Amino acid sequence: MLADHAKAIHRVCFGSEPSEADLELLGSRERWLVYRDLVRNRLNHVIGVALARTKNAIGEEVFQRAVDEWFSTGGPTTRYLRYVPSELAEFAIPIWQRTEAPWVADLAGYEITAWEIRYGPPNPTPSHEFAFDRRPVLATAVKVLRLAYPVHNEPAPGAGYEPDPTILCLYRDKNHKAIPRKLNPLAADLLDAWRAGDQTVAESVQQVAAAHKTQIGPDFIEKLSTLIADFLNRGILLGGQDPPP
Amino acid sequence: MTRDVAGIGLGLRYDLATELLERTPKNIAWLEIHPENYIDRGGRYQEMLDLAREDWPVITHGLSSCLGALEPFDASYLKELGTFLRDLEIPWHSEHLCLGGVDDRFFHDLLPLPFTEEAAAIASQRLIEMRDAIGVPLALENASYYAPQGPDGLAEADFVVEVLEKADAKLLLDVNNIYVNGRNFDFDPKLYIDKIPMERVVQIHVAGHFVRDDGLRIDTHGEPVPDDVYELLDYTLRKTGPVPVLLERDNNVPPLDELLSEIDELWTIYRNATGVGDAR
Repeated sequence: MLADHAKAIHRVCFGSEPSEADLELLGSRERWLVYRDLVRNRLNHVIGVALARTKNAIGEEVFQRAVDEWFSTGGPTTRYLRYVPSELAEFAIPIWQRTEAPWVADLAGYEITAWEIRYGPPNPTPSHEFAFDRRPVLATAVKVLRLAYPVHNEPAPGAGYEPDPTILCLYRDKNHKAIPRKLNPLAADLLDAWRAGDQTVAESVQQVAAAHKTQIGPDFIEKLSTLIADFLNRGILLGGQDPPP
Repeated sequence: MTRDVAGIGLGLRYDLATELLERTPKNIAWLEIHPENYIDRGGRYQEMLDLAREDWPVITHGLSSCLGALEPFDASYLKELGTFLRDLEIPWHSEHLCLGGVDDRFFHDLLPLPFTEEAAAIASQRLIEMRDAIGVPLALENASYYAPQGPDGLAEADFVVEVLEKADAKLLLDVNNIYVNGRNFDFDPKLYIDKIPMERVVQIHVAGHFVRDDGLRIDTHGEPVPDDVYELLDYTLRKTGPVPVLLERDNNVPPLDELLSEIDELWTIYRNATGVGDAR
C-alpha cells in the first residue's frame, strides 16, 4: 500500500533512528539511508546558512542536537525552503533559552528575523503620499525587535554579550539586505502602531506620546519629522492610504 | 496570452542571476524558475524575476506539489500558484512524479513512488485535480530514484506512461534522470525512451549528476552534462522533434561562460537532431 510506503519513508527520513522494520519494508537499507542523508543535508544546509552566527556561538554539536530533535517531531510543515529555518528557530530558541548563555536566544531571534526580512513578501503600493491625516503604508519587510543583548554587533572573538537592552528596527534596504536601525522606546511603539495600520499618523502619534507621557511640543515635532524623513529615506515608510470608512 | 518557448533554456538561479541578467546572453532562448522560490517573496528574487521577464520568456517547474502524495492538495496554495502562473503567461507548468511529503510534512527532496497501479492511479488523479485548479496545462516530470523497486511493480517507463495516459497529460522528459536510473538499475535508457509517447513530450531537461565512490549516481544538478547524456538527448530529440530543452544547474554552479559553452553544445545537438533552431 502506498500509504504504508509513504509513512515508512517519512519515519526513515525524520525519525531519530530509522527502524530496521521500516528499512526492510522499503526494501534497501543502504539506499534508503542515502535518502535520509539527502533530505536531512538539504535542510541542515539552509538552517545552517540562516543561523550561521548562532551555530558558531553554541557549537555544531549543540546546534545539531536541536535540529535533530526538531526533525524527530516530523520535519517541516512549510513547502517553502526559505521558511524552514523559521520553523526550526521556533522549536529551538526555547531550548536554547534554557540551556545556553542568556544572549543566545536573542542572537538566534535576531538572525532569523534578518533572514525573514531578506526573504519577506513584496512591498505594497501606497495609494497616496505620506500624510498625518492618512494611515501610513510601511514596507512589508519591517520588524521591531526588543533585545536584552546588543547581538546585532559582532562580539569579540570567544566572548559573549553583556546585558544592554536594545530596540532595533530591521528592514530590507534597496540592495535587499536586512539592516538594523536602533530605535528609542517611543519610536519603536510608533513604528509598531504604524505597522498595525489601523490609525492615521496623527492618531497614532497622539496615542503613543500620551502612553509615554510626552508632550507634543516643538522639540517632539522636530524629532518626529526627522524620524519620518529617515524612515521614508530608508524605504521603511512608503506612503499613505485613506482611513477606513 | 502565452509567450513562445523554443530552443535551449537555462534555469534562473540566485548564484547565476547577477551576471546572467547583466549580460543577457543571446544563446539562451528562455528561462525556467521554481515558483516556490518566488511566490509571495520580495527583495532580490522579485527583482530577478522582473528583470528576467524583460528579456526572456519564463516557464515554471514546481517542487512541492509532487503528484504522489496521499493528502488532499492545499487549495489555497493551488489558488495562489494558479494566479502566479497565469500572470507569467506560461505555456505550461510542470511537476515531479514523486513523493514530496507525507502527512503535510515536506521532504524538500524528491522521494520515489513505488511503480504500482495504485500509485499510478493516485498520481494521475492528483495531476487532473491540480491541472484543473491552476488553470494552465500541466506536465509531469519523470524523476530519478536510487532505491530498488519491489518485485510486483511496473517498469518505470510503463509506470510513467500509465500516469500520462490515465490523466491525458503532457510530459517533461528528463533525459538525465533516465540515464541515472538506467545506470543505477542496469537498463537501457534508449529502450525507456522508445516506450514514451512522443506526442506528449512538451519539454526536456538535461543536467549533470554525481557519481559516488560506490558507483551510485545521484541527480545533483551539480556537474557538467556528461557525453552519454548529450547522446541520449540527441537520440530523444530525433524522436520528439524540436521541443524546448532546459539545462539544469542548481549546485556547484560554475562561471557563466562554462554554462554558456554547455548551452552551445546543446544548440549543436538540437540543430543536428531536429533541423531547426535559432537562438534569440
